Amino acid sequence: MGALVELRERQDIGEECHETTDLALFVRTSDDDLAGWDRQKIVEAMVREAGVSAHVADEISREVQHVIRDSKIKFVTAPLIRELVNAKLIERGFEEARKRHTRLGVPLYDVDQLILHPNKENANVPHGPEATNLTLAEGIKKEYALLKVFSPEVGDAHMRGDIHLHDLGFIDRPYCSGQSLEYIKRFGLSLPNSLSNAKPAKQPEVLLAHMVKFAAALQSHFAGAIGWDAVNLFFAPYLEGRSDREVHQLAQMMVYEFSQQAVARGGQAIFTDINLYWEVPRHFENVPAIGPGGQFTGKTYGEYEKEAQRFVWALFDVYKEGDGTGRPFFFPKPLVHITEKFFRTEGSQDFLLHICDVASEKGTTYFVFDRGETAKVSECCRLSFKLNENDLQDAQQPWKMRFCALQNVTINLPRLGYRSGGDDTALFQNLRSMMELAVKAHLEKKAFIESLLALGESGPLALLTMAKDGSPYLRMHRASYLIGMVGLNELVKIQTGEELNQSKHALKYGLKVISYMNLLCKEFSERYQMHFVLEQTPAESTAYRFAKLDLRDFPDKATGTVKGSIPFGQIYYTNSTCLPVGSRENPIERVQTEGLFHPLIEAGSITHIWLGEARPSKESLANFVIKVFRQTQNDQIAFSPEFTNCLKCGRTVRGLRNSCPHCGSEEVDGITRITGYFTKISSWNKGKLGELRDRNRNRGYFSNN
Amino acid sequence: MGLVKLFIKNRCPRCPHAKQIGKELKAAGFKVQEYDVETPEGLAEASFYSVQATPTFIIEDLQENMLADFRGVVPSVQQIQNLLCPTAGRSN
Repeated sequence: MGALVELRERQDIGEECHETTDLALFVRTSDDDLAGWDRQKIVEAMVREAGVSAHVADEISREVQHVIRDSKIKFVTAPLIRELVNAKLIERGFEEARKRHTRLGVPLYDVDQLILHPNKENANVPHGPEATNLTLAEGIKKEYALLKVFSPEVGDAHMRGDIHLHDLGFIDRPYCSGQSLEYIKRFGLSLPNSLSNAKPAKQPEVLLAHMVKFAAALQSHFAGAIGWDAVNLFFAPYLEGRSDREVHQLAQMMVYEFSQQAVARGGQAIFTDINLYWEVPRHFENVPAIGPGGQFTGKTYGEYEKEAQRFVWALFDVYKEGDGTGRPFFFPKPLVHITEKFFRTEGSQDFLLHICDVASEKGTTYFVFDRGETAKVSECCRLSFKLNENDLQDAQQPWKMRFCALQNVTINLPRLGYRSGGDDTALFQNLRSMMELAVKAHLEKKAFIESLLALGESGPLALLTMAKDGSPYLRMHRASYLIGMVGLNELVKIQTGEELNQSKHALKYGLKVISYMNLLCKEFSERYQMHFVLEQTPAESTAYRFAKLDLRDFPDKATGTVKGSIPFGQIYYTNSTCLPVGSRENPIERVQTEGLFHPLIEAGSITHIWLGEARPSKESLANFVIKVFRQTQNDQIAFSPEFTNCLKCGRTVRGLRNSCPHCGSEEVDGITRITGYFTKISSWNKGKLGELRDRNRNRGYFSNN
Repeated sequence: MGLVKLFIKNRCPRCPHAKQIGKELKAAGFKVQEYDVETPEGLAEASFYSVQATPTFIIEDLQENMLADFRGVVPSVQQIQNLLCPTAGRSN
């Protein structure tokens, strides 16, 4: 708004005073007051904000004043004056000046709609006043990002739907992060701008409180997920001497604290992932353990295996119970790492059955496969940070193990097919160009975040610049830059006439596209000395947005390509490199085939196994998990049952139903996994509803309980 | 007869030897396809066979059914000949 919101009566310029009196106008400002007309303020704003000369500014301000006078308008608003000025700038050809002089804001109608109706872009945000604030702020920051942070070339590509710049409304934050509990165990909860500072926790309940608050602080500095590594292991030194009942109580507190954050805070739930191990991961075995008060206990983590196992077992007891109405917990997502050492560790078979029991009952368990020497920290819907040699050295001082992806840019693959007209050479050239554009977007976001970080303690990202261990919390030199993809299946169909699962030729074609993207990431990483990696975009709304824009811009080609129902508007593209959700191969074939892509997608992948109403035996799921680990390259799997929760009697039953089998009420809501997490179906966007209809629920494959 | 798929890359210590074996197999009349895993085509084919080490030999019959694989190791020409032509070199 600049000076236009600061309009005051001016008494020192004769002619201006005369004009003001003549106009007898008051300007509604966004400072909650009415200010008198002052042409000079328009001049000052144009010179300061738009960078035009004082002479031009003076001319334009006079023209605008004439327009207002001639219109006989009764009162004017600051936004109206600004738009009149912008129109004059355009008439004179000052396009760049007009852009700099842009006002960001929201039409009255839109605000009305936002306050009244839920925003379904993100099913993780419940509707309410705080959520409305979030959406409004996101709207303005999104405009800011497209005008100020990204170049017109990048911004326009996003607007067209060539690419998707994720979380534009959170432009002043990095994308997501993974951290270690060891940081707060060692340094306490002492954050910049905090009203009070806490020393390292002495009790496990206090450590949990620190963890939850730190997660909330991090959530307000990152756009997406907050992941935690080896949570059960790092809690273990606090659990010595605690009874099983106390450990169960702590587990229950952890799950409820994270799952109820959205209710407590309003806005978005903290998208929390907790990485869990049955064994002590090899890279932590000989690491000195930190215990109560932030003191080293004199033991290594290898000596805390039993305490860590007690805690992780208790966590899954809680997950199996579900919440007060028997619903599955949406957060924190438990990611259990399956490794060679897992199978060599005593009790692993019982534990595998335990977590498979939870997977069958509630679907909550995520199985993360770390084969061979691989170790990783997982988070978000499928993102993972593979630990390299430097990370494994950091593991000796685990508080250093903090990871970040700075941004995610997703490429609309089917559109590349439409544009290439079936020509392979053109397709791969277009793919390269689009990847280069994605890299350009990353460079622009990186430069912006660096400018914020450079403001240090007085800047908006002060939390991320704190350097309690000598390095800033956000280690920019170790950041990843994600490039995602949507609709490989549809692109392959455009190019070969077959979907990924319909022939070996089609599958190999898909592998070639992703191989090319993988190699380009390596080329760009070397060129820019940044870590570009492919990720399977969760695409909760992107798969819908791309399909919708392509139907508009390429109707002839997209009509036969998009999935879902065009008449109902429930359209979507198949996520990332996945096979079509409705294809009928058995689950192990799906896991195996989708897994062929996973080694190429270094920042994380997942295969969903939709269960519908089925409740497989824990033994059959355990056998399946072992088979996936031993016989495939798949990175991560999750089993997704469906539930119906009655809003009237509060009970939860298996399967998606139109009414409650207990009380007969039709006020029911479905629950299942939308992309990488559970949520209520009433909050889903149209595209995901279309996908839900198409999902193959693998009836009859697993033996039931 | 069948097909030998050989996966190699630059800066791989055992790959020169593997390529030499590939040449000898070709000279002996076998069909050998060489894939550089640092090209999109090579990496795609390697992904299809879950190849994670170079050099790798995948031996297939004419119907593209895998007969054997040598991952991260270099077999001898004789080993591959025995797989593709089990009767070759045997006296009656």
